[in-house]
Amino acid sequence: MIRQPMMLVVLLACVSFSAARSQQSDSARLAELEKQVEALTRELERLRLGEDVAVSVDTSVLGFAPAASKVYRIARGVSLGGYGEVLYERFADTRQDGAPSGRTDQLDALRAVLYVGYKFDDRWLFNSEIEVEHAATGQAGSVSMEFAYVDFRPSDAFGLRAGLVLIPMGIVNELHEPTTFMTTERPETERRIIPTTWREGGVGIFGEAGSFSYRAFLVNGLDGAGGGSANAGGFSASGLRGGRQKGSKAVVEDLSVVGRVDFEAQPGLRVGASGYVGESGQNNPTGGVGGTIGARTILTEGHVDWLFKGLSLRGLAALAFVDDVAELNAFRGLTGNESIGERMHGWYVEGSYDVLRSATTNHQLRPVVRFEQVNTQSRVPSGFSADPANDLDVLTFGAVWKPITNLIFKADYQVRSNGARTESDQLNLAVGYVF
Amino acid sequence: MIARGARLVLVGCLLGAIAGPVRAQARLTQDEVLALAFPNAASIDRKTAFLSEVERKRAERAAGEGARVAQNVVTFYLAVDVRGAPIGVAYFDAHIVRTLDEVLMIVVGLDDAIRRIDVVRFSEPPEYEASDRWLETIVGKSLNEELSLKGDVVNITGASLTARAVVRASRRALALHAVIEPFAEAR
Repeated sequence: MIRQPMMLVVLLACVSFSAARSQQSDSARLAELEKQVEALTRELERLRLGEDVAVSVDTSVLGFAPAASKVYRIARGVSLGGYGEVLYERFADTRQDGAPSGRTDQLDALRAVLYVGYKFDDRWLFNSEIEVEHAATGQAGSVSMEFAYVDFRPSDAFGLRAGLVLIPMGIVNELHEPTTFMTTERPETERRIIPTTWREGGVGIFGEAGSFSYRAFLVNGLDGAGGGSANAGGFSASGLRGGRQKGSKAVVEDLSVVGRVDFEAQPGLRVGASGYVGESGQNNPTGGVGGTIGARTILTEGHVDWLFKGLSLRGLAALAFVDDVAELNAFRGLTGNESIGERMHGWYVEGSYDVLRSATTNHQLRPVVRFEQVNTQSRVPSGFSADPANDLDVLTFGAVWKPITNLIFKADYQVRSNGARTESDQLNLAVGYVF
Repeated sequence: MIARGARLVLVGCLLGAIAGPVRAQARLTQDEVLALAFPNAASIDRKTAFLSEVERKRAERAAGEGARVAQNVVTFYLAVDVRGAPIGVAYFDAHIVRTLDEVLMIVVGLDDAIRRIDVVRFSEPPEYEASDRWLETIVGKSLNEELSLKGDVVNITGASLTARAVVRASRRALALHAVIEPFAEAR
């Protein structure tokens, strides 16, 4: 009778010992599984975010303390991007004065651009823009470097830039991707007076502090006389555009200084101004007296750019002065109303609004309107006259459609008029992309 | 003219050399940026949510604006005070801006609105990076139509791809937050 309970106790003891061992084994396995899941999720996070981000603070690189080794953890490598635009222009058959315009409609693969950059580390980078204009170099096209520079940026407030740089003037010269301006064609003021895309070789500084940003460069001067080793066309009655040397064996007998300051009053509202000064004679001789042409060129502009809700407003005014124009004219053989302007001015205002802003779509549809006036001969030297054809008004109205941020389709009509009544209106269609 | 120009640039260099702290130079790691976001936290716990396919799709629908939610495994960092009560949660979002990547830390508060955004990595050229001032315009936003470039968020001139990427990342973080409900136990 006694043996039965004893056996029962022994049996129970065995079962509970076995259960305890099994429980211990289960919790060990559970802990092991938790450890494995933790390791896997950490590995996943490291893959997603990158080792430079997901690294733990107790990790050091190459024997440095964690803080000192940060610079070695940043991502490095090649960056690629690009943009392009194709433009169709249909010209009116007649000019303002009723005479035949004589202009033929055209479709142009205006530009296709590839950005290539390389980030050596977070302080040093190389950036470049290679552009194919007008599609084929065998016909009207060309291939150009629009910029190619090296940046050293030890802090946000201060950086150094050297190479072929974009001249920091106006709105469009630095931001000329087709998705950043709402009309098919760039403003005349930013083509004739600020000769977009304007780039020259040089060195300078840039940075931002609080709401302010700045850039200042020492660059090769414009070639107002033309015909130097860069084969620039020189200044003309229609503006400064021909004076660009574009970094192509540029003549550097004269240097120029250009600077810019922008103030971001609030996100979306930017106000700024810039100035350029330098001589553009590039050591070319004056006629007869044995000296060289100075041709000091001063260019100033102010701009405002405001994005608010679906509204986009921007405006710009530019003023340019050129000295020694009579000597430049003589050197270039310009007479009568062909004179380069001693003073040039231009301004424009532009607005657009996204009418689909309230719709449940990511598409943007923006009616756009711009008015501008530009006169590249608002003053000429005595003995010369201004050609009223260079006193130009352009009213542009149309619409753009952006199905996604990277693509833009544009259609607009330009009502063009000048003092000589020789302008003709035009209809433009364009497609642009950026990536 | 040359001498004057060179002097101007030299003066600028000297002024610049003594100016301002560094933002772009040395990015913070996850641990460092979390410590900045939650300076008063007693602890910051790393947690992982495993989403079902239904939950993932729900988050993607809620995010909208073309913000894809591609992950079923979501790691987040829950900050708690000395009593163990949550004070906020941080999500890290990696995405492509143009052709290169950006990593953001998006901190969500107890009101389910964005409390802070930090750029932890930005691989594109620095001129495309969103400024701190612009990022601040997203702080306080919840997952609704105002958190959109068509809503209250202003686009960035010349860096619209960055603006779009940040908005999408913010919406994705808030949508995941709504599905995961990291504060649910405390409520």
